[in-house]
Amino acid sequence: MTTSGGPLLVAALLLPLAAMLAAFVLGRAQAPRVVACALPVGLLLALAILADLLCSGEALVYLLGAWQPPLGIALRADGLSAAMLLTTTVVLGVVAWFAWGDFAQPANAPEARQPLMFWVLLPAVWLALNTVFLANDLFTLYVALELLTFAAVPLVCLEGRPETLRAALRYLLFALLGSVLYLLGAVLLYGVYGTLDIAQLSTRVHPGVATWAAAVLMTVGLLAKTALFPLHLWLPPAHAGAPAAASAMLSALVVKGSFFLVIRLWLDVLPGEMMLEAGQWLAGLGAAAILVGNLVALRQRRLKLLIAYSTVAQIGYLFLMFPLAAGLVGMGLSDAPAVTGGLLQAVSHATAKAAMFMAAGLIYSTLGHDRIEDLQGVAQQLPMTVLAFALGGVALVGLPPSGGFMAKWLLLSAALTTGQWWWAAVMVIGGLMTASYVFSVVVRTIVAVDPEKMPKMAVPRYREASVLALAIFSFLLGCVALLPFEVVQVGRLGSVLP
Amino acid sequence: MNLTAVLLVATLAWPLTLLLACTVRPLRARMLPWLPLGALPGLLAALLAERDALFVFGSTRFPLAFAFDRPGAALLGVAALLWLAGGWYAAAYQAESPARGRFAVCWLMTLTGCLGVFVVADMVTLYGLLGLLTVGTTGLVMQEGTARALRAGRIYLSMALLAESLLLAAFVLIVSSAPGNTLLIVDAPAAIVASPWRDAILCLLIAGFGIKSGLVPLHFWIPLAHGAAPVPASALLSGAVVKASVIGLIRFMPLDHSPWLAGALLAAIGLFGALYAVLVGVTQRHPKTVLAYSSVSQMGVIVALIGMGMASGEGSAGLIAAYYAVNHVLSKGALFMAVGVVADTGRRRLWTVLLPAAVLAVGLGGLPLSGGALTKAVAKTLFGDGLAGTLATLSAIGTTVLMVHFLRCLKTFAATGPDDCAERGLRWPWLIMATASLVVPWTLYLMAPQNSLPDAISPYALWASLWPIVVGVVLSWALLRWKRQLPQLPEGDVVVGLAAMGNRVSALAAGLGQQLDAALRRWAIGGTVLLALTAVFAWGLRTLL
Repeated sequence: MTTSGGPLLVAALLLPLAAMLAAFVLGRAQAPRVVACALPVGLLLALAILADLLCSGEALVYLLGAWQPPLGIALRADGLSAAMLLTTTVVLGVVAWFAWGDFAQPANAPEARQPLMFWVLLPAVWLALNTVFLANDLFTLYVALELLTFAAVPLVCLEGRPETLRAALRYLLFALLGSVLYLLGAVLLYGVYGTLDIAQLSTRVHPGVATWAAAVLMTVGLLAKTALFPLHLWLPPAHAGAPAAASAMLSALVVKGSFFLVIRLWLDVLPGEMMLEAGQWLAGLGAAAILVGNLVALRQRRLKLLIAYSTVAQIGYLFLMFPLAAGLVGMGLSDAPAVTGGLLQAVSHATAKAAMFMAAGLIYSTLGHDRIEDLQGVAQQLPMTVLAFALGGVALVGLPPSGGFMAKWLLLSAALTTGQWWWAAVMVIGGLMTASYVFSVVVRTIVAVDPEKMPKMAVPRYREASVLALAIFSFLLGCVALLPFEVVQVGRLGSVLP
Repeated sequence: MNLTAVLLVATLAWPLTLLLACTVRPLRARMLPWLPLGALPGLLAALLAERDALFVFGSTRFPLAFAFDRPGAALLGVAALLWLAGGWYAAAYQAESPARGRFAVCWLMTLTGCLGVFVVADMVTLYGLLGLLTVGTTGLVMQEGTARALRAGRIYLSMALLAESLLLAAFVLIVSSAPGNTLLIVDAPAAIVASPWRDAILCLLIAGFGIKSGLVPLHFWIPLAHGAAPVPASALLSGAVVKASVIGLIRFMPLDHSPWLAGALLAAIGLFGALYAVLVGVTQRHPKTVLAYSSVSQMGVIVALIGMGMASGEGSAGLIAAYYAVNHVLSKGALFMAVGVVADTGRRRLWTVLLPAAVLAVGLGGLPLSGGALTKAVAKTLFGDGLAGTLATLSAIGTTVLMVHFLRCLKTFAATGPDDCAERGLRWPWLIMATASLVVPWTLYLMAPQNSLPDAISPYALWASLWPIVVGVVLSWALLRWKRQLPQLPEGDVVVGLAAMGNRVSALAAGLGQQLDAALRRWAIGGTVLLALTAVFAWGLRTLL
């Protein structure tokens, strides 16, 4: 049944679609304005969905044309979706604010590809992500994933340099491989159970060859798209080569799209008892990602590459939630700490990483390079940017009151409660390694140099402010733990709760 | 909200407000003269707040709690006094520095963290404050921007972060095993005793707080950091900041229910460190480095006191250790300040600084009637007359030797002009701290009901504290004769080997990681890995069949 808040979900899809089309049609000069008008409305929509969810205590559902699944298509928003919708809107809003001048079109210059593409792709990413968060059947999700990929690939090669084209092609090919695997799995499930609707699948799925093959194929496909180690080959060149605003979107949001599907798949579709075993494998890869990603990040000479490798490592943290959730359920407890921890990690990383990439972009545009060893004096020139970078870094490291801390705390206590101390050890070691590269960068930037020797390239104040605002948001995100309600548990399918 | 709550909250909130004010550039540039004010609520809280208070704010799952116990009150009072005097001193010392805005920011961060640790009562806030403390301290250590300062800062930062990771693991373990998953520190000792991970928690806590308190062999960052920081910062780091770990140990360790072995081990490590630091300290030349080694030695004694308390189940050990630490906060802070004053004082007036400094320095070794003698007498009730007592006496002798060596180094540091005189902003804070380190230990001593003035000045007590000093002075005279034969140990002794080893290991690991990453990022291998991963998952999920 369509719930009373259901139309909000349709609006959340139509708004970015309209923005994308309008931006494309109105062209260069008007496109940023269109996006700038749409994003605040989107923020209100996301807040309205969240409020509706908290008031009713149930998931929002909208049946397109009032056709019941499996014939019709359902949109569904639970706590996870609402939190991710909100995060996406906030991050995209700040990215748009940041990019305002970067991709501005001079008034009487001929139409340029780069600004127009950016302002069309931004709502496209938004549309794709919203669809991922709200769609409730495997095929719509497949379409959303493809849309996400095709919006993200051009962002990688926005500048059109040969190396970014190469990175984009690499990304495209690998993402397509992932899509094919996912689609195969979805088709298998449809063949056996006759439905693609997640809510229906969750009640029908039972062990068997088809379920097994589908689980394997879909998982691996999604991991390739999420760039979980060792399938991260496309990520560092793609994220480090794109313009700062695009990197921020790619690293903060795009990889979360396919990760969100992994959550859907394992928490909602597949039988809960399976996760205990699969979770160990997923978390094993996550742990390897944390260790190797951080180690490689430590050795990077360029700031953007360092941040990109840090993303490889941080993606690893996301996957630690699976065995912990399974362990908690196995002990007859609620899996809320693990799921909340995982989601909070995703949100915290999204905001912190976007802020860090944008800060790196400002540093790059001021110095003309981003070699880590030559960053001295940046703090004198760009104090707000360095503060933003540091606050984002603190959120990655996981010091209170950042969201990263709360996520880490929840995951650590879940790991120790379920006796899986090895994941806790990985988290602590990973945090230590993260701290060492974050602080080594910050320390370099605060070394004072002769002001005469600093480049005089000025950065507009509003761009610094945008980055700082997002970093502060990320830094204070841990305070959501003080709120009296648990968003994530609202409207969860399959009722894994005892 | 009564007065106590207001004062405790203000202890943390007021310096935090000043810190936030620093985000505005014009305020930051003018913040330096206002630094002493940052510690004012802390001092008032120590004087006026009720003991044994507990206030909980915020949600029940993640409370923000403040508490005040007697060890915390004593340490907060002297630490706040040192921050106040040190802020005044720093305002004069850094007045001409081009980076004074940054100095003020780092100072306030460290101050907030340091004083906050004494009043907060939940583990999350404690962890956050320790992080803030670490970041601020790193900034203070690196303030001068020289290669030496940067190296010291890097080493400090990595050790402090390691300590915090260990502590985080310990905190999560404690909370997961505490009934009702309480985050309050007051409940921690009982939770540790009852926990199935008791030994792991104790190890993590001892290692974590041990690094922060400079327990040998994890002490090497102290001489580097306290040697490299500007004088007022060194005074605070060596005096007040390291005490955060003391209060941590006092509050977390289940003093009356610890396993005997843990306590004995802690006492042994502490006393070994107390003697070891003296041996290395006498080979050093720079007065600040010598003082830093003395801090390592004194912290060893304090940790040993807590260890003795754990081994003997003596609940009052916390208070005794805190009393010992109080004396150290005051004397060490004053002595570091003396280094800066002496550097600006000419030959003619030198004695006006050197004489009080000598009293304070030898007082650390236990000069009769000084605070050191009182603390040593109190500590004796815990150390007893056995092996621990002997070692403690040895460490008193050693401290005397080290302090005489310090005075000798200090003398060579005087200003070149015979009539030079340190400015008022340096002299006054130093005099305040010197006076406080004579008066405060006596006041606290006489406030305790079991102590009395006649006991303290009885001939037996005087002799007990005098003879180690005499032996120490004789030994230092002997040391002077054999000065040439002494080896030249690098600042931070074991750090050279450890750093080389650490660099090699990290280079090896990172090199391996990079090679692995480079291989995985090749198309052929990447594709194969995708297939292999499919196979792995196919096998891993075979129970779905």
